Amino acid sequence: MIIDILSWICLLAGGALGIIGGVGIYRFPDFYSRLHAAGITDTLCAMLILLGLGLQAGWGIAAFKLALIFVFLFFTSPTASHALANAALHSGLKPKLDMESRHD
Amino acid sequence: MIDTIINITLLAFLATTSVAIVRMTNLFAIVMLFGIFSLLSAGLFVVMDAPDVAFTEAAVGAGISTVLMLATLALTRNSSKTPYTEASPAHRPWLPLIVVAVTGAALVYGTWDIPSFGDPNAPAQTHVARYYIENSIVETGVPNMVTAVLASYRGFDTLGEVAVVYTAGVAVLLLIGGRRPKTAVKLKDKGEQDEA
Amino acid sequence: MKPNLILHVVAKFLIPLIIVFSLYVQFHGDFGPGGGFQAGVIFSAAFILYALVFGLDAAEKIIPSQWLHMLAALGLVLYAGVGVVTLLLGGNYLDYTVLGATQIAGQHLGILLVELGVGITVGAVMLIIFFAFAGRGRT
Repeated sequence: MIIDILSWICLLAGGALGIIGGVGIYRFPDFYSRLHAAGITDTLCAMLILLGLGLQAGWGIAAFKLALIFVFLFFTSPTASHALANAALHSGLKPKLDMESRHD
Repeated sequence: MIDTIINITLLAFLATTSVAIVRMTNLFAIVMLFGIFSLLSAGLFVVMDAPDVAFTEAAVGAGISTVLMLATLALTRNSSKTPYTEASPAHRPWLPLIVVAVTGAALVYGTWDIPSFGDPNAPAQTHVARYYIENSIVETGVPNMVTAVLASYRGFDTLGEVAVVYTAGVAVLLLIGGRRPKTAVKLKDKGEQDEA
Repeated sequence: MKPNLILHVVAKFLIPLIIVFSLYVQFHGDFGPGGGFQAGVIFSAAFILYALVFGLDAAEKIIPSQWLHMLAALGLVLYAGVGVVTLLLGGNYLDYTVLGATQIAGQHLGILLVELGVGITVGAVMLIIFFAFAGRGRT
């Protein structure tokens, strides 16, 4: 019962984070702030959902596989954000600064 | 119930993605959307209890082919940058619209006769599928029926598929393998590939 | 700090995992979803990741093109060779039953070898195509 509640909290929080990230991508003015919105929420969103699913699955091979996916995402997701930002900066995309964005 | 909701959601996403692909002009974004399309299809296959197909779709469609298409884009140029303007259509859009509508109506009419998903009396299920389901574990001892059918019952078929994959690789090598022949050394390399 | 330090470290951490996963998919295909096609693609994805992060030349140093050409053919030959062996042992072409003492053992061995052939060919061909496309760009 408690596990059910915990897992539902995790799943709902994860889903909410995903939606927040999507809203952030849609609302934010430039590439870097969008990446900021997506990159941060995305990682935690996936992890919370995996945690919720793991709590539902209980101890076993399924939970172990979910843990492996967890580890994989833990490393790849921030790295992907970093690589994306790095590549954008390299190719000369300037972050939009505060003064400019006010005019939109 | 929950399957229906997931199906409808995934299909809606698929439709949205395909509309976005049609309307987009940036080729890089289109390649990314193709990857998303494949991933959504993979999710749909999982809902339909076909994890093997979903696996292949996710690995090939969303993974490798995206990389290959990006590589192709890097070779060619992003067409939105070229000074190419699309010619205005030569005729009114009514004729294509009517053709598409009629074809779509015929297809929808055709779906009424298609047996429902998982119907045991469907023509596809009555021929050899029953035999595979009943005998594959006894005859091959392999729990994954897909592997048993793929590798054992239809071994010829899979041999042909592998030959197709190999032929594709050889064809790519013959067409664009070997570096740009700036030096004659590279040409020799290409000759070796021909023998292989 | 080098600009790609994070990518290098994470890629070095991930590539062995991807290869292990592809081997799992390859040899666990009898029991769960997976098989030669998927495993070959995942295996090639590991090397493609290496090529993307460390550069094409480094990747070609690890797995030279000549090897790939031979591996692509080797997989197909392995597959067809299993069929020839079953012929020689008195069965039909690709009838794995004659490979083992019992029918189950024979089928198991045959499926394993055939899937291995599929995996080798698919992985090698994917890498060949990738190297051909990516290598074309440089002059």
